[in-house]
Amino acid sequence: MSTGQASARHSPRTASAFLFACVLTACSGGGGDQANTGPGPGVPPNEAEAARFLTQATFGPDDASLASLQNLGYSDWIAAQMALPPSLHRPEIEARQQAGMDTQPRHRQAMWWKRALTAPDQLRQRMAFALSEIFVISDQNDALGADVVGCAEYYDLLVRHAFDNYRELIESVSLSPQMGKYLSHLRNQKPDPVANTRPDENYAREVMQLFSIGLFELNADGTRRLDGAGQPIPTYSQSDIIGLAHVFTGWNYADAAGWFDYTPNYRPMEPWDDYHDMQPKLVLGTTLPAGRTARQDLAQALDLLANHANVGPFLSRQLIQRLVTSNPSPAYVARVAAVWANDGTGTRGNLGAVLRAILVDGEARTGEVGAPDYGKVREPILMQTALWRAFGAVSPDGSFMFANPEFTFAQAALRARSVFNFFRPDYAPQGEIAAAGRVSPEFQILDHTSVIATVNQMYRSIFERVLGDPASPQDEILLDLAPLTTLAADVDALIDRLDALLLMGSMSATLRSILHSHLEVENDNKLRAQDALYLVVTSPEFLVQK
Amino acid sequence: MNCNHSRRDLLIGGSRALLAGACLPTMRGLQKMQESALASLASEGGGAGYKALVCVFLDGGNDSFNMIVPRDAAGHAVYSVSRGQLAVPQGQLLPILPTSGGDTRQWGVHPAAPQLRDLFEAGTMAIVGNVGTLLAPMTKAQYVNGTVPKPAQLFSHSDQSTLWQLPSARDDVAHGWGGRMADLVLSMNTGALSPAISVAGSTRLLRGQTVVPYSIGTDGSTPLNGTWGAAGTHRLQTLRQILGAAQGSAMAREFADLHDQAIELDGLIRGALNAAVPLGTAFPANFLAQQLRMVARMISVRQPLGALRQVFFVRQGGYDTHDEQLAKHPQLLAELGSALAAFQAAMVELGVETEVTTCTLSEFGRTLTSNGRGSDHGWGGNQLVMGGAVQGRRIFGAMPNLALGGPDDGGLGRIIPTTAVEQMSATLANWFGVPSGEMNSLFPRLAQFATPDLGFMA
Repeated sequence: MSTGQASARHSPRTASAFLFACVLTACSGGGGDQANTGPGPGVPPNEAEAARFLTQATFGPDDASLASLQNLGYSDWIAAQMALPPSLHRPEIEARQQAGMDTQPRHRQAMWWKRALTAPDQLRQRMAFALSEIFVISDQNDALGADVVGCAEYYDLLVRHAFDNYRELIESVSLSPQMGKYLSHLRNQKPDPVANTRPDENYAREVMQLFSIGLFELNADGTRRLDGAGQPIPTYSQSDIIGLAHVFTGWNYADAAGWFDYTPNYRPMEPWDDYHDMQPKLVLGTTLPAGRTARQDLAQALDLLANHANVGPFLSRQLIQRLVTSNPSPAYVARVAAVWANDGTGTRGNLGAVLRAILVDGEARTGEVGAPDYGKVREPILMQTALWRAFGAVSPDGSFMFANPEFTFAQAALRARSVFNFFRPDYAPQGEIAAAGRVSPEFQILDHTSVIATVNQMYRSIFERVLGDPASPQDEILLDLAPLTTLAADVDALIDRLDALLLMGSMSATLRSILHSHLEVENDNKLRAQDALYLVVTSPEFLVQK
Repeated sequence: MNCNHSRRDLLIGGSRALLAGACLPTMRGLQKMQESALASLASEGGGAGYKALVCVFLDGGNDSFNMIVPRDAAGHAVYSVSRGQLAVPQGQLLPILPTSGGDTRQWGVHPAAPQLRDLFEAGTMAIVGNVGTLLAPMTKAQYVNGTVPKPAQLFSHSDQSTLWQLPSARDDVAHGWGGRMADLVLSMNTGALSPAISVAGSTRLLRGQTVVPYSIGTDGSTPLNGTWGAAGTHRLQTLRQILGAAQGSAMAREFADLHDQAIELDGLIRGALNAAVPLGTAFPANFLAQQLRMVARMISVRQPLGALRQVFFVRQGGYDTHDEQLAKHPQLLAELGSALAAFQAAMVELGVETEVTTCTLSEFGRTLTSNGRGSDHGWGGNQLVMGGAVQGRRIFGAMPNLALGGPDDGGLGRIIPTTAVEQMSATLANWFGVPSGEMNSLFPRLAQFATPDLGFMA
């Protein structure tokens, strides 16, 4: 199958048509057991359930999204979100440049905050952030440190493809010159016997280990297949990496005048067959024949990866972990992977359908909410977005400036320390969680230092960055505490509101009682609102998103 | 064992005496550990002094065959053919003159890191040749034939990085060798602070069976804001009450423990650091040097914190030099050299240069062959050990044959290691005071290798 055919077959129109059909029939994402996979007609039964869904599907619930979801129901809300035009980063960055304004990496971060907090296409933005933690590039790397526009364009690539087909996404990612710089396949050359060089193995290895099939053969439910001796089965060998390294040769910046005469830009890389290895290549048991062009080899190799049985369970499980729960049941992974394999119209790798299947699944909605190890630790940066979205964050100067979020949260958009992201999907903190054979990836960036830094940032947001407070800097993001202050005259009403928006109505009786005792002796309504908010967003019950 | 409950209950109960930044072993286990630690002290001739190991992880896979390079004509010629454009010219190498070890070749240090040459020549640093992950000694023929098992997922960053931190090249235990080492000497420390301290975030190396590492920033521990005045005190009290009441999921309890412990230990550490004499030694601005500066500051307050044994972890990133290696790698080595030199100077300033040993680790060496702009993931690599107790100016283990297709080449210049990671770590553990009777349980595959102690700390 050539790239051109892939594009035609997996057009976004196909995905939209499927989703539209779903909305009409209130189906639940296709495949699997209907009794387990859907919420029926799909209107959240109460505000708390709506908040729970929006915590998974957006950067946090606010009044408008709660009302919209409760009005539309899950299916129509998802369809409406998917129909919204993408809010992109690069145009605003380039507008700054064209206006002669300073354009630094911190401005890309500010644009990320603006979209996370205010963009209408929340589902798309949230999915793009999840994808950015799988298909990782980072400006913490020399190659991309100064490439503000390039990083914005790469993030936009993920935004644009958030509901598209995986085969298109992996090709766009592979041909992104920013990915090419980050994993060094940009201008990777065929073997040169005179200089005694051979192709760079970097992208070949990581595209398999991280972006497609993973290290071990998987069952359809994401569990590892075992050999006769009970051992996991490696998905590929070093010789497959060498074969694939030869595939990824001959790609340079678009519109280069010559292999050595190029101008860096942001368009997909283009092939130079003189620098592409045309010998046969053995990749995952398939021989790519001699004499193929760079584009032909790339198309076949990406087809091999995209059609590999591992892709659906490997990436479905990670998307579930990013959005819903750290330890999904194998059955949940299997249901989502089944949609990955076939969205109901015969299309494989329909990411929009996969996302929908993740969110409307019974396990995401109601299935295991009561189980003690259900749910996930909120990513530290998403604790901040949840707080700000819930209670109306404002940027008085419109900049949404938050320069180096990674200093506080140990994470920020496209700022991982390596291609292995901020945390690994199989990370388990020492102690009870590891002993139980469970994982909790986000704990990899939660240590004594980052926990206090994050909690202090919550304090700063609530006490020192307040709208209308003259001491709060007007060039930062400020919280509008007025509505909550009004509400704070009634301690129970205040607690109920925080419970609904931040804890999805699941506040324990113990926490409620401790909060009540604390708040009733505070007579200033603003301080009461601030203390209540601070104590809730620093509580273990907020940290764990159920 | 439900560690977290006991840890939190202790914190809530206000008992700090036995915290050790960790959950507690059973009383019987504790007694056993104390006995073995005391036995070890006795065998040292009563030297109940301080010891610290500082592990410097060179993240991404250091191209260590360009850090220490053959400089004799024949040795350099073989090296040059294998490395092609990546070769460091013979005339630029900084000569070192090992007093023993190595082989007939002469050696030089990369010109970007004169401090490494100086430390080696001063007898403060040793080289451990061709170290890597192994399940058993392995010849090239055995590697090719598959007759000796090899570690899983060779050449993968995440996997090999993990295996370097484990007691053997098999990912079948939760603890790292540094943390387990700390477990075995835990009873020598009296304070609440964990003996395992990372200045580079979470790391498997420092996990013990009982020890839980403490994580600190390059500027020290971070105080909780908003705790001043009556309102702040009230808020802090309630916050800690909420943490203490954490229930439901293990994730919630884990966070509560971590948060509460961070508050508790910050007061302790900040108090000690504020009272300490500032370090006179100047450190470079690079991130590795700043992490090592924090290690030096923590070592300077070892006495008020009640620490007799400590293991530290720091990290220098950027070694994954697939491209622009000729520009990037010298910068990394320059930072490494200047950071290590400053740290060693600080140890001299504190009077603990023989009590503190520093070692490098890296998930793999790199291919000798070039991809045109850099090198790819390899296997064995050379490592450095530094400190006053190190048998310096010597080479331990065997420096590899650098010929492509030679006896150490696993293909494309991926060098098959001749010394296992645990031979190096066990040598350090011996020095650190792990009782000899514990060595084979600490390092379960150590007996596979003929030399369980490489002698660089003898």
